[in-house]
Amino acid sequence: MTLSTSDRSPLTGTTGARAGALGFLTDVSLCIGCKACEVACKQWNQLPADSGTGITGLTGFSYDNTVDLGATTWRHVAFVEQAATTVDRTWEAPGAPGSPTAWLMLSDVCKHCVHAGCLEACPTGAIVRTEFDTVVIQQDVCNGCGYCVPACPFGVPQLGDTDRKAHKCTLCYDRLVDGLEPACAKACPTESIRFGPIAELLPRALDRVEQLQERGVAGAHLYGDRAIGGTGGMEGLNALFVLTAPPEVFNLPAAPELPQRKVLPALVSTAIAAVAFILGSGAALRGRR
Amino acid sequence: MSGPESGTTGGDWGEGRDRRGRGGSGGAASDDAVIGPGYYGIPAIHKPHWKWLIIFYFYFGGIAGAAYAVATIADAVGASEDRRIGRIGRYLSFAALLPSPILLVLDLGRPERFFLMFRVLKLRSPMSLGTWGLTAFGGFSALSVAAQAAVDGRLGDGFVGRRAQQLPIQALGVAGTPLALFVAGYTGVLLAATAVPLWTKRALLLGPLFLASAFSSAVSAIELIVALMPSTPAATRHRLTRLGVSTLFAEAAIFIAWRNGLGPTGRPLGEGATGRVVRLGVVGGGIALPLVLQAVASVTTGGFARILSVVSSVSVLAGGLALRYVVVVAGNTSADDPRATLGMTAADGAPERLSTH
Repeated sequence: MTLSTSDRSPLTGTTGARAGALGFLTDVSLCIGCKACEVACKQWNQLPADSGTGITGLTGFSYDNTVDLGATTWRHVAFVEQAATTVDRTWEAPGAPGSPTAWLMLSDVCKHCVHAGCLEACPTGAIVRTEFDTVVIQQDVCNGCGYCVPACPFGVPQLGDTDRKAHKCTLCYDRLVDGLEPACAKACPTESIRFGPIAELLPRALDRVEQLQERGVAGAHLYGDRAIGGTGGMEGLNALFVLTAPPEVFNLPAAPELPQRKVLPALVSTAIAAVAFILGSGAALRGRR
Repeated sequence: MSGPESGTTGGDWGEGRDRRGRGGSGGAASDDAVIGPGYYGIPAIHKPHWKWLIIFYFYFGGIAGAAYAVATIADAVGASEDRRIGRIGRYLSFAALLPSPILLVLDLGRPERFFLMFRVLKLRSPMSLGTWGLTAFGGFSALSVAAQAAVDGRLGDGFVGRRAQQLPIQALGVAGTPLALFVAGYTGVLLAATAVPLWTKRALLLGPLFLASAFSSAVSAIELIVALMPSTPAATRHRLTRLGVSTLFAEAAIFIAWRNGLGPTGRPLGEGATGRVVRLGVVGGGIALPLVLQAVASVTTGGFARILSVVSSVSVLAGGLALRYVVVVAGNTSADDPRATLGMTAADGAPERLSTH
């Protein structure tokens, strides 16, 4: 399956987001890796710094020292270093000696999926869908069962080390109810992170993809619609991304699936097995009465 | 495994992704090493925190459910001298069920908030279904064991004892058995409905596998108790052995289907310490050795046969625990492997390309 715009699947550029849904559009081609979003997020949400690894707290993974999304990191800027020839920049001679390193930077965030695995898994109802179509964990209800953690195909929620409850991006719910935009979008100096109604962000993203492709970035594509990223029963993401490299480069699954799709079929197969075991046990244990 | 700087070649993206995973064609990306996708080898999903508490819950919950079902079936179709199977099954079920809620509550990040599980019932959340299923089954198991204890004269003939004697043991068993089977099998569904590659890849088989293991463990536990009791009729022991052996064959078939169906995703099941537990614990101790011992026991008699039977039962019980252990641990290993995760969710559905190296 190719995902260039010339060979678009009929689902490209569509989403199952509800009317009035609010979300993010994060554009990798505009990100300068300043981490203002990470800092603004931590400041507004009063999240502690990540301790990092080793003596220095530095990972050695380019400029990335927060590694991934987690209980105390709700925006995570990924730094991908690639040889320029590998990002399809046709304005440079491919393979020219001494061609520069290309840097891809992407501010990752909770996808606030249209159908969210974490929300469906949550056995206490702590995870709810808000009036903005975003997905929020109510901290006064979460009991730390941890089922949302492996239920997320993007690896977003995580149990906190200190309070043992699940945490993730709230899309600044407390700011939204007061008519403010999320802290990360507010802080982004290049508008790599945009906030707004999905109905406006989606066409903007498609325009941007087209623009980038016209400029020669053949790998530019939208991530988070029904065709890629928001796949497998998720019906789209409320955090869209414009990517210029395959999603896997940023640790994003290309065609993730809503885990709860498996519940009914697996219960049915288990029930069939149960009937078989009942009949088999009956046959084995039968004796003269 | 290495970072994206040496491996990923986004240039293939527009034309076809089958060449991705190799170094670029010349130039600065001269690294020809075949490298998987991903981001510095950092896990693409988060694994759960579940460890021994959950492994033991899967084990005890399975035995509790399957023992209850076997007791009900023995009551329904067994010979009159097989009454003790039902009796032992009910006691065993209740005994195995007792630690289950304790293990589950202790595993919570905030155990004091366990009761919030009862705020909602969510049909698409196996954990929510399991909470209610386990609670309801707990009621049946408690009533059944009370009725059994009253029949056995253990509750005296006071108010409680007289009331418990009036409980309809068989009707309770029939009504509670669907819940018992659910408790024995839903844990596999719970794991299957996650993003963890090793659990979700063959989602349809994990529930039946746990159910089969629950049956083999419960039957072995009953066999063990029967073997240690004096004066059990040989016919009863024979029928129990027949059930145990056929359960082991079923478990072996489901395990093989599951293991082979995983493909490269199942690699953690064959590697390192987990691989040894799979070979020696699950397959060797849990299935192969007991089948051999039962075959030998079937052609011998007397005390030696009984010893073989006891060893076989203990071996199956250990194998059942080993199965829960390897499924949980190997699942966590696969969650930590971005090649497994991203390979399974590749857009072109070619997991082997990404998850092997």
